[in-house]
Amino acid sequence: MSFFSGFKRLTCLTLLLTVLFAGGFTFTSLPVFANTANPEEAVKSEGTTTEAVKEGEKKVEYPPAPKLTVADYPQIGSFNPRILVWIVAQLHLWFAAFVLAVPIFVLIIEALGMATKDQRYDNMAYEFIKVSMAAYSITAIIGGLLTFSLLVFYPDLFKYMASLFSRSMLAYAFLFFAESASLYIYYYGWHWLEGGFKKWVHLTIGLVLNFVGTVLMLLANAWVSFSMSPNGVDPATGAFLGSEWNVIHNFLWNPLNLHRVIANIAYGGSIIGAYAAYKFLGSSSKEDKAHYDWMGYTANVIAVGGLLPLPFAGYWLTKEIYAYSQQMGITLMGGVFAWLFIMQAVLIGALFLSVNYYLWCGMERSEGSVRYTKNIKWIAAAVVACFLVWFTPHTLVLTNQELKALGGPYHKYLGPLGIMPAKNTAVNIMIILTFLSFTLYRRANKIATVSWAAAGSAVQAAIFAGAIANIIFLGVFYGYFTNTAYKVAASIPQVSTTAVVIIFTLIIDSMMFKGAKDVAPLKWGNVPGRSQYALFTLAVSFTWLMGLMGYIRSGIRQHWHVNSIMRDNSINAFTPTIGYAAQVVTLAAVIFMAIVIFIFWLSNISAKKSAAH
Amino acid sequence: MKIFLKIVFFCILAFSGFVGFANFGIPQVKPAPPPTEEKLDLGNMTMDQFIALGDKIFNGKGTCTLCHNNVGKRAPMLDGAGEEAVANNALLRLKDPRYKGKATTPEEYIRESMKTPSAFVVAGFGSDNDTKSPMPVITQGSIGLSDAEVDAVIAFLLNKAGVEVTVKIPVGAPPSEKAEEAKPAEPAKTPEEVIAKFGCGACHKIGKEEGALGPDLTRVGKSKNEPYLRRAILDPNADIAKNCPGGPCAPGMMPPDFGAKMTGSEFEMLVQYLVKSK
Amino acid sequence: MKLPKLLQAVLVVVAVYIAFKLVFSVGLQQPIPSSLLTMYMFFVVVATLLVTTATEESAKEMSGPIKALVEDPSKKTIRNIVFVLVPLLAGWMTYSNLRPSFEAPVELRTIHPAPPGSMKAFGKSYDLAKLENPFRKYQKEDPEKFKALVKEGGAVYYKNCHYCHGDKLDGQGQYAQGFNPLPLNFQDIGTIAQLQESFLFWRIATGGPGLPKEATPWLSAMPVWKDFLTEDEIWKVILFLYDYTGQAPRSWAAH
Repeated sequence: MSFFSGFKRLTCLTLLLTVLFAGGFTFTSLPVFANTANPEEAVKSEGTTTEAVKEGEKKVEYPPAPKLTVADYPQIGSFNPRILVWIVAQLHLWFAAFVLAVPIFVLIIEALGMATKDQRYDNMAYEFIKVSMAAYSITAIIGGLLTFSLLVFYPDLFKYMASLFSRSMLAYAFLFFAESASLYIYYYGWHWLEGGFKKWVHLTIGLVLNFVGTVLMLLANAWVSFSMSPNGVDPATGAFLGSEWNVIHNFLWNPLNLHRVIANIAYGGSIIGAYAAYKFLGSSSKEDKAHYDWMGYTANVIAVGGLLPLPFAGYWLTKEIYAYSQQMGITLMGGVFAWLFIMQAVLIGALFLSVNYYLWCGMERSEGSVRYTKNIKWIAAAVVACFLVWFTPHTLVLTNQELKALGGPYHKYLGPLGIMPAKNTAVNIMIILTFLSFTLYRRANKIATVSWAAAGSAVQAAIFAGAIANIIFLGVFYGYFTNTAYKVAASIPQVSTTAVVIIFTLIIDSMMFKGAKDVAPLKWGNVPGRSQYALFTLAVSFTWLMGLMGYIRSGIRQHWHVNSIMRDNSINAFTPTIGYAAQVVTLAAVIFMAIVIFIFWLSNISAKKSAAH
Repeated sequence: MKIFLKIVFFCILAFSGFVGFANFGIPQVKPAPPPTEEKLDLGNMTMDQFIALGDKIFNGKGTCTLCHNNVGKRAPMLDGAGEEAVANNALLRLKDPRYKGKATTPEEYIRESMKTPSAFVVAGFGSDNDTKSPMPVITQGSIGLSDAEVDAVIAFLLNKAGVEVTVKIPVGAPPSEKAEEAKPAEPAKTPEEVIAKFGCGACHKIGKEEGALGPDLTRVGKSKNEPYLRRAILDPNADIAKNCPGGPCAPGMMPPDFGAKMTGSEFEMLVQYLVKSK
Repeated sequence: MKLPKLLQAVLVVVAVYIAFKLVFSVGLQQPIPSSLLTMYMFFVVVATLLVTTATEESAKEMSGPIKALVEDPSKKTIRNIVFVLVPLLAGWMTYSNLRPSFEAPVELRTIHPAPPGSMKAFGKSYDLAKLENPFRKYQKEDPEKFKALVKEGGAVYYKNCHYCHGDKLDGQGQYAQGFNPLPLNFQDIGTIAQLQESFLFWRIATGGPGLPKEATPWLSAMPVWKDFLTEDEIWKVILFLYDYTGQAPRSWAAH
């Protein structure tokens, strides 16, 4: 036994070294991309002849992007390779988002457990990472399948991309090993590295794991964003210009990075929430119910934490797409894809409603909630009002009679709700209201003991009211009475207002409820089954929404593999209708959910087995 | 199990709600199919495709950008914007007292300058007081564009300048792709043929050619030995001579691909010819 | 007397529906399109259900009468009536949805379709992604000259455009009612203020025939102005459109 544990330690140490090595590799390799001289700069800096000779030697001519014909795409019978690649890529993305996000908040929860010395946090963090372990290998398998299907069905595209990203693909492979290594140590070393200094080591490994995971994602994002906004290649021919860093650091890379990191966290939270809901509904003992209720609640808080800033990150990404190419921007928001955003609005509305519903139902846990339940209907009414504004389309579907009645394709009063300032206003208020639900939920079981409690609450109410008034004012004034340059700018003070509300409310709350007394002990597990379905709705809507938005992001290139550089000449280069896309997304989502349920089931068996021992 | 089925049912219900709304709740816009791509069939080409062909020749087969780039300043820019577009300068040049040709329109001017480069030399780019152009006749020699290809390049240059494209698309005269491919099959038989075939005289003073961009090669055998000359052809940037007519030579000017284009016997003949040029 | 929860919920939904109808169709004379109203009402119903089931107590109150209707032996007569009425209602709705009518099918028209990457006019090709209004710079550099240019643009507008787009640029020109689609109302916040100047240049120069397929099925009657106006005139009239409506073109240069 001692030999075994010694051996295990040795393996762990080796793996740790690998991780550090690989981490160092990324650090050193990134500047290498940057140092590789851009030929234009090289020519400009040509000073003396000798230097120039060296540059001349270095300068390599890269082949242009291939021009393909239908015959260049392998075709097996009537099999549709695009749908295969589409579904596999989407599955890979879902799983990857999940396994990259979970370690982020596992690390936070673990640190929280360490700080509060509450063993429950540690146990929950361990259970989270356990769920993501099985998903991790599936991510890798599907990633392999994706590479394989690209190689088989889109060989020239793959070759071209590989020629541009040769070094980062190599780095990716290395980092993948580093990711695996650190994940395995993190998970299997959980109980071994417990207590005192060892826990610090464990946390550090968790940090390395997250760092490597994030870099992995950034690299993969570069491939995707390059295909939308190519950079570092000759715009006429697509020939590589010599600097891989320029190719990676393309116009849409950073907006995409931010959007994906935030969305991953929200998504990971929602899937864990669904897992907890599943376990909650399935467990019969009171302790289990309480545990999984708490777990679902925590996961939901994480998901909401990610969900709240997400619209802004998305707004930035869209704005940058617009700035990159007017054609792409209008295709996205005003052209063929505009109606997908109505679909998106419906899904986001579903997310917000289910989050709120979960919080309202959660008030059952506390006996003090009766004080607040009567407010629910007003919050609901306001959320719905915002939501209706949020999804009112710019272009209306009209029958001929309606067209005549309106006197044109624009609605005088609903039309102005169709453009961005109205949407921004609505979504900011929706976020503030959701946060209000959360605040009410948090204080449902508390009675403030500080002397200024009434005044504090009044100040908070004033902050909420003032903020909502300010957001509406900003939206209406800047959105409708100034010109477009300000319209875009108006969203920033709106977002700041929302942020101010959240921060100040949290600060006042934390002071006001310091040493507050509980109405009664919180009854974890005492929630109706309905609320758990809200968690499922959250996970399901999120999954489907990600699939849809993934399609939009990829689809706005239309018939290009790499926008305006490498054309897609296969028979499947057409842009599908919304219904077609929705069907493919649904098919992929059903497959994903089936695999996820399988993973839940797997972790269930292992739990049963360890309980039996 | 009951719960499991309930959940599955719920998920499927949610998905069908979404897919149902996407299919029936919102109008189905059928996006236009991808635009058909240009076919390089001169017979039924549109003007856009013809211009695109000219672009391709300008940057590829025609080797125009070898000199007409903004790197080496060896020749004036042709395809830039505004002042740098040849078609915008053409009318001015036609009025220039130094102009010796017969052209009256930008189109004719560009065609003339490709066939008789010395008809007008932009100030600062020629030899003998800007009367002799270093540019090869591009319908002959190693570049050897067909008339249709010349027209395509003109169309490209006119379009680039933003002036009206007056060129007519030639009918039934496909570019001489086949002839082009057949050429390398007949190796040159004498050193003079090699020099003509690879257009050495476009830049160098060699034999009867009077190129004035690269070093004078009429007596090169005197100062350079055989290994140096071999290297100079195979890897032009290995050594950069200092005796170009306009001062020290700029690197990267000589095409580096002669080694790949010449046959063994052509290469040998040329090297021996140069060694003997004393 | 306190109303039963279920009845309350139904009343709320009906009240919202009537309010929509009253406010928009009667009060503002701008009815909500039925496709949109359906979606609005769907979410109102969902939200009402969510609110009424948020607490255990009210959820029981909600489901109580329904349970009783199905299970309570004393409610046999009502049960039978409901069980006959509900399928009939569903059948009638299906029938009225499928019944053929003379109404033209609802079709969607994209009012501002995505522009092509480049366009041809006046014997040149324009890269629409980079195209700028050559006169826009005078707004800052030389306001006097800019004013003069706007004025010239106004002259072009009133000579050519106002017949359809109206003398107040509101799309209510004297011939406007003869067209389908109607001429665009430039005063609307959702029109030119959302677009870049190169987009307007494209739309004006190529007119109705220049619209891509997604902007059909209604054919715009807008003439191909590049055949009638010069390039400068189009740019000037664009200046005028923004100046008169007090809008600024969408631009990324400000950042």
